[in-house]
Amino acid sequence: MNRRNFFAGAATAVAATSVSRVAMAALPEPVSQGSTATAAPLVPPNGRPYNPVVTLNGWTLPWRMNAGVKEFHLVAEPVVREMAPGFKVNMWGYNGQSPGPTIEVVEGDRLRIFVTNRLPEHTTVHWHGQRLPNGMDGVGGITQPHIPPGKTFVYEFTARRPGTFMYHPHADEMVQMAMGMMGFWVTHPKESHPLIDPVQRDFCFLLGSFDVEPGSATPKVNTMTDFNIWSFNSRVFPAIDTLNVRKGDRVRIRVGNLTMTNHPIHIHGHEFEVTGTDGGPVPRTARWPEVSVDVAVGQMRQMEFIADEEGDWSLHCHKAHHTMGPMGHDVPTMIGVDHKGVAEKIRKLVPDYMVMGDKGMADMGEMEMPIPDNTVPMMTGTGPFGSAEMGGMFTLLKVRRDQKPGDYRDPGWFKHPPGTVAREVPNANMPPATRKETPAPSMKNSSPDATVRKPSGSGAHNH
Amino acid sequence: MNPIVRRQLAGPLCYRRSSTPLKRAAAFASVLILAGCASLSPDGGSADVQALVNGNPLMAGTTAQRAPDEASQKSVDALLAKPLDVEAAVRIALINGPRVQDAFATLQLSDADRVQAASLPNPVLSFSRLAQGSEREFERMLSFNVVGLVTLPWQARWAGQRHEAAKLQAAQSVLMLAADTRRAWVRAVAAQQSVVYLRDAKEAAEAGAELAHRMAQVGNWSALQRTREQLLLADASAQLARAEQAAVASREQLTRLMGLSGARASYTLPDRLPPLPQAAPELGDVQALALRDRLDVRSAQAQNTAVAGSLGLTRATSVINAMELGVVRNTTFDNDADRTKKTKRGFELDLPIPIFDWGQARNGRAEAQYLQSAARVRDVGVLAASEAREAWQGWNTAYAIARRYRDEVLPLRKKVNEEMVLRYNGMLASVWELLGETRASMLAVNAGIEAQRDFWLADTDLQLVLTGSSPGGMTAAQTASASDAPATGGH
Repeated sequence: MNRRNFFAGAATAVAATSVSRVAMAALPEPVSQGSTATAAPLVPPNGRPYNPVVTLNGWTLPWRMNAGVKEFHLVAEPVVREMAPGFKVNMWGYNGQSPGPTIEVVEGDRLRIFVTNRLPEHTTVHWHGQRLPNGMDGVGGITQPHIPPGKTFVYEFTARRPGTFMYHPHADEMVQMAMGMMGFWVTHPKESHPLIDPVQRDFCFLLGSFDVEPGSATPKVNTMTDFNIWSFNSRVFPAIDTLNVRKGDRVRIRVGNLTMTNHPIHIHGHEFEVTGTDGGPVPRTARWPEVSVDVAVGQMRQMEFIADEEGDWSLHCHKAHHTMGPMGHDVPTMIGVDHKGVAEKIRKLVPDYMVMGDKGMADMGEMEMPIPDNTVPMMTGTGPFGSAEMGGMFTLLKVRRDQKPGDYRDPGWFKHPPGTVAREVPNANMPPATRKETPAPSMKNSSPDATVRKPSGSGAHNH
Repeated sequence: MNPIVRRQLAGPLCYRRSSTPLKRAAAFASVLILAGCASLSPDGGSADVQALVNGNPLMAGTTAQRAPDEASQKSVDALLAKPLDVEAAVRIALINGPRVQDAFATLQLSDADRVQAASLPNPVLSFSRLAQGSEREFERMLSFNVVGLVTLPWQARWAGQRHEAAKLQAAQSVLMLAADTRRAWVRAVAAQQSVVYLRDAKEAAEAGAELAHRMAQVGNWSALQRTREQLLLADASAQLARAEQAAVASREQLTRLMGLSGARASYTLPDRLPPLPQAAPELGDVQALALRDRLDVRSAQAQNTAVAGSLGLTRATSVINAMELGVVRNTTFDNDADRTKKTKRGFELDLPIPIFDWGQARNGRAEAQYLQSAARVRDVGVLAASEAREAWQGWNTAYAIARRYRDEVLPLRKKVNEEMVLRYNGMLASVWELLGETRASMLAVNAGIEAQRDFWLADTDLQLVLTGSSPGGMTAAQTASASDAPATGGH
């Protein structure tokens, strides 16, 4: 597993781009990020104080104060996002990355957000979930003219309610979101809020799906359902950073869904409550304990729990295909197919051929075989006990008693106390399961199950 | 027919042949000498043919054999002992092939005609016995076709020219045989090579079908999916069967040209066609080359000359095309009491009287023949120049296509295969897609072999067109598409 240091992002820092100061005289300097590492939380240097969030494999956009107004500068532009080491995707994003930087403000802040369009086509920004003047809602053609390429528009409004939000284009939306245009937005409460508890760790990430043909680098924007890359903040397991917390911390995880399907986000070892949605904090009486929460398309969920169980706990989408990398969805099931004789024949024609899938697909996680350039294996990642056979929307919540407050570094693999790991039962002498000798009933032509019945009377299913 | 008036010149009109004028004697002598020279050539003119074709690139550095002898048969066996390359095949055909012997026999016929034409006509001896009452008359006449004698030099020259043309034709036949053998060899090797690859393609389909069957057996696939794979196998099998038949047919064609039978017919061919040449040859003006070197052009010209020669002959004999001069000796016995015996001597001249036939028709015919032959010269010239251009273009096209297969299609195909293996490794593609790609590769290799074959065919055509004769109904593209259809119907 290739885990990056949490602080790597802080070290690479935020670099000024080469845009002329004269041209930008009235604008805040646009800041760009080159690293995909999780940046350290941005402690507010000015304005109202707040407890910053950590964006998984992302960063927070700095701002400048201008006569009491917080000014941000977003640059919409083509970027190359490294979704995993060696797997780089041509995306559209903001300020050097996709997703764009997280915008963190405080309830009541007066905001001015400059948006420069460096895309080849027009764009807008919709501030998903915000209370704002209609003309600031960012729906191209409806509430504002589109931002043409090369132009800068400004959005001005007040962050009226605290909560978890996001931003994304509302112009050629299908293409621009398929290309990765999205970003997180957190409005912190300006003072203690009855429904918003202070937390020690506050993580956020966006769910994204892309269709990148293995061996290519640009997402297919016309794909509607058959995506093959499932990501947290445009990263895939095992390249997604872990959520490292101290035992006993109150942890908040904010998730936004900008894919075209729902994602049941599941956390192992703890039960949590959904304390907020993009509509705001959930009344305490409406919260119930869960271990999975379905984040529907276009929704945001905010889960909170006390991390009181030490260990390396999986945190993933519960749709099995979403914890996989690219796979051929038309590849037939090979389980139980005897390759005797045939494999040799194929190897004569294709010397590199290896039988796969006849016992299941775990082979894929174990065998290290060359695959097309610029893609990731369908399942990968190894833990202390072997292959994790996972990919996509999967990471770990690492709870350690000795993780220092404010330290977001990866503590490494959990050292299990003796006797607390599942183990083999010695001399069990149970014979292993073998393949059924008789074919499934549907394969016997004589079997009535295989005969086609006309859907008439009570013999047919009642639809 | 001309009414021939036979005028019996006898009695007082008869004069004794006394002294022949000197001039006549000289002419007669010269004819005799000419006739004496016109003897059958010992080899029927084949040495001249060898000289015409020697050094031709089609000949593979060998000489055509007029009649196979023991030594040549030994060399054939030696050539057959090894895998047969194209030069060896041409050699065997030129030594052993029935067609080359046929060509030489034809040439020998023409040689015989030539000698025949230059031979003095035999004098005719007629003898008749007539009875009238007691009279018995014996008529003896020794006659000689004078016109035949007078026209003998013409006849001899014309026949000589015809023999020259026949040599050119025989040389063409030899080159045609060499070219046909080359082509047959190229086709046979390519077809045999195709079979190997189509067998691999079938094997890929077989593996797919077998796996499909097992997939269905364990319940992973429906009858539809399994049947589709079986269909591919059936298709591949049919394609292979066709290719195998084509291989047998093209090999038999080669066997026939080489005149082989029995155990000799089980020769082995090399596994593959020779590689493409590095670059196109610098040929200069291919049209000029064809017009200068092509044997059919030269043959047409020679024939034209011969016809022109015959025109003179026809003119000379148009009015009087037969004149028989005979020496007559008539003896009459009267078997009456006094038993008188009278002998008449004299000569007899048979001469058609040009009343109805003034020879216009014959002259017209001769002129028409001359015009026809002149037109043929022009026709062959146009053909040669046009075929030279076409063959040159065909050569270049075939070369470009074959190179494209060698340098682009096949490496790209290989790359596709490698990429498909990577996709299979990543479980992005199924084994059937992999096998399908392998099958497609084999078919591409097969198409590459066909392109290479077409190049070598075009190469043979070009050589024949430039230095030999008209290959007849060529155009590489036509051959290619025609023979493509059965072998690669699947791609």
